[in-house]
Amino acid sequence: MQKLLETFLIGLSTGSIYALMSLALVLVWRSTRVVNFAQAGQAMLSTYIGFEISTRTEIFWLGLLFAIAAGALLGAGVDYFFMRVLFKHAVSGPAAVVAPVIATLGLLGLIRSIVGLIWGGEFKTIKSPASTDGFTFGETTIPFSALNLLIIVTVFVILIILAIIFQRTNLGLSLRASAYAPEIAQLAGIRTARTRTIGWAIAGGVGGVAGMLVTASNFLSPYSLDLLLVFGFIAAVIGGLESMVGSVVGALILGIALTFILNYIGTSLVFIGGFAVLIVVLLVKPDGIMARGRARRA
Amino acid sequence: MRKKLALFILLGWVLLLIGDRVDELRVYQGAQIAMYTIALASIVLLTGYSGQVSLGNGAMMAVGGYSAALTLNNLGSPVWFAFVMAVVVSALFGAFLGAAAARLSGPYLAGTTLALAVGLPEIANQFAFLGGVPGILFDVGFPPARFGEEFTQYKWFFWIASFIALLALFITSNILQSRYGRTWRAIRSHSLAAELSGVNSGRMKILAFTISSALAGLAGAVMAMTISLVAPGAYTLSLSFALVTGAVLAGVSSLPGVVFGALILVAIPEVADVLATRWGGDENLNNYLPGLIVSVLLILSVIFTPNGPGEKLKSRHHKKA
Repeated sequence: MQKLLETFLIGLSTGSIYALMSLALVLVWRSTRVVNFAQAGQAMLSTYIGFEISTRTEIFWLGLLFAIAAGALLGAGVDYFFMRVLFKHAVSGPAAVVAPVIATLGLLGLIRSIVGLIWGGEFKTIKSPASTDGFTFGETTIPFSALNLLIIVTVFVILIILAIIFQRTNLGLSLRASAYAPEIAQLAGIRTARTRTIGWAIAGGVGGVAGMLVTASNFLSPYSLDLLLVFGFIAAVIGGLESMVGSVVGALILGIALTFILNYIGTSLVFIGGFAVLIVVLLVKPDGIMARGRARRA
Repeated sequence: MRKKLALFILLGWVLLLIGDRVDELRVYQGAQIAMYTIALASIVLLTGYSGQVSLGNGAMMAVGGYSAALTLNNLGSPVWFAFVMAVVVSALFGAFLGAAAARLSGPYLAGTTLALAVGLPEIANQFAFLGGVPGILFDVGFPPARFGEEFTQYKWFFWIASFIALLALFITSNILQSRYGRTWRAIRSHSLAAELSGVNSGRMKILAFTISSALAGLAGAVMAMTISLVAPGAYTLSLSFALVTGAVLAGVSSLPGVVFGALILVAIPEVADVLATRWGGDENLNNYLPGLIVSVLLILSVIFTPNGPGEKLKSRHHKKA
């Protein structure tokens, strides 16, 4: 019973980090119809910046702020200087389908190489803002630590802020409108191109948080966020790629499921488990758990 | 058909002559070029013809490499049989994945295959019979004694790799010119229209995925031969990226282009090495400059000549006419 509970709690903490990554992917997908594989790179570069700040000032939260700002700037920059150029050269022919996907891959490689050139390949660590030792109740110590709790709380706060932005502000309304029906939104006077760039910025900032939170209990390297990208993508697919709520729910489910595999079966099956979840969801419910019988768009 | 066969035999003969006249390093790079040629052909067939994006061909190469090595080491079979097993096992694996992939469009397929590329090497790390991080040996043996003392190991690799590459290209080019190639192009340009003309697009996509995986697996086995080893570190995400880059540079739907793409992929580390040494030989520079060059090339080509360098020339020609 105790093991069950602690597995659940740790799963919740892992899943909440996946939630941020999958939310970032979904935000970009809704507005641009591109799965942004460069998100892992953007988050990584932001985390390196957060790492520099938090190591020099020894304040984790300042590092986090800088990571969010860097992520947002980077996200907006990628859309403004890169995606717009790509779509201006709107391609036809055999490569038309694959061009945007391949472009984001190229960007991931580019950011990875730049980070490698600046910081090198060795593992960096960020000093955790809270204890990584498990809580102790009387005699027993459980693996769930103050850091895990802090991660859950931080993600929860960020989700609430995002929910307020999307549901209660004009910006949120135009973000939703231009994702749902770009042409009609434009006719209604929304500057959709600018709105899209803002969406990319929000996604970038959220990705930066995910990178910082993962790194607080792990190491940082030019490759350390690849798995986060994959699990974020799987979570987004569980949620149907369209729905923000779905992606968060999907991420929590995935995080808890994978932690159960880790604790009850073993490390070797964690990835296979994640991949199996992806294949099963794609075959059985390709529109995701939040689908309401609407056909998947392109 | 007969003409093409003659052309391929002529090509093989020219390769043999070249192999005798250049130094050891170039011979080794020749084997690498042959390996990349097969791998890029698998992407051209899949992406350029059937219109499916796979970022996981590096993982398929791993499947081929591991099946070849396990066959050779555990069954004590002849070397050619190891290569055949690499093709068979990766084709089966591809058919299984293809069955899932055929129902997926663009982003779903790309993401799923990306997950595969990230995860498969991790899986190899976890299981003892796959040798963990150090991997397992794959030794095709010394060249036959009758070739003489002069005949080096690398030249033997080059011979085997070139022979396999020519054979694979010959078969692939015939497949692409057959009914199947035409059907794939029809599906890619308009899948609904193709279905209305009686094409079972799901089955054709699975077939493309299977053949492409078989080719990638073969390339993986050839790669294992040239480094005498299969290890998770050889089949990284970067390999999958490099393959996609090579295919885009080659023009995704041009089979002869793959030789050009393969040349570039082998040349990039060389060029990067020269540049890194000239710019101070810093360790980070050595490690990350090749990746930087690959990504910049990929981005530039996807923005400016997404259908390959041939496209611009062709369209200019059309304008004049």
